Amino acid sequence: MARDIKFLVKDIEEATINAARTACVEIMNGLVEAGPGYSGEFSSAWYAVEQGQSPGKPRSKQGLYKYNLRNVPKTKFKSSGVWFQIVNGADHAAEAMDLVEGRFISQLDQDKYPIKDPVNTGRRTGARRGEVTSGAGFAISTAPLDWWSTYNAGGALSNDLARGVQQGFGKARGFK
Amino acid sequence: MNYQAIRAAVENPLLSAFSGLSPAVPVYFDNITAVPPNTTTEYVRVNVTFGITNEPTLTSSVDNARGAIVIRIFTEKGRGPARNQTLLTTAVNVLEALNDTAKTTSGVFFRVGEINGPTFSATEAAPHFVGRIDTSYVATVLS
Repeated sequence: MARDIKFLVKDIEEATINAARTACVEIMNGLVEAGPGYSGEFSSAWYAVEQGQSPGKPRSKQGLYKYNLRNVPKTKFKSSGVWFQIVNGADHAAEAMDLVEGRFISQLDQDKYPIKDPVNTGRRTGARRGEVTSGAGFAISTAPLDWWSTYNAGGALSNDLARGVQQGFGKARGFK
Repeated sequence: MNYQAIRAAVENPLLSAFSGLSPAVPVYFDNITAVPPNTTTEYVRVNVTFGITNEPTLTSSVDNARGAIVIRIFTEKGRGPARNQTLLTTAVNVLEALNDTAKTTSGVFFRVGEINGPTFSATEAAPHFVGRIDTSYVATVLS
């Protein structure tokens, strides 16, 4: 039976919130896939927040984090006319995203291995996280240099966003 | 797909622009080790990354690639931002010029998106003040 037209505005609102939440989940899981992963801490620290708000702290250090709708509560998306950002709350987020230089510990001084397969193992060629080249050395990089910019600009972000919106909108009542 | 032609389309004009300055400023591209990090010599690092290749578009051409261009300017720390910003302007001018280039029947048609930054950083350990901009690009190989 067709749904009564009086629910249309409410249904569209619900569908839009679903779309936004699902898109956030898709993007955050896309960022986990694209980004580095040593302990898993950085991967667990993505948050969707209103512009200007601070993200929370990392949720886990036990492997790569897998996001679902529980990480993006519906209540967050009740305000209208606001911009949302996906930001990382790890203390070393800027270093992990190759935005600033950092100080890195040689793999020789570590008692564990990264949870993600390295993309480069060898000599450190600069002070940014991803500046590691193959060859003799003990530096490890688990995501290419500038993975963050590449995710944003290279098409992966728009693909994840589109997929999330499509899935989320379609799941809403009245649009199934 | 001709990744090398795409890379050259952005690297060559950047190299020419910084080489043409007086004094010339060295530019280091992907997989080239930059000057030792403990020197105060100014230099430029350009990283070109590739995202999605051959994304379907509304045009007949599918020979295209998207990606990011990240430009970092290293100048001496503790001397203010002026020199760094002067060199950033050179880089931004090159990117703007790329967008002004007319489409031809061969070669690479290159367009950059909005430019993020500049952002600046300096760490206690490193001798450089670093200015950073990045932008997206879409390049189509024409034949």
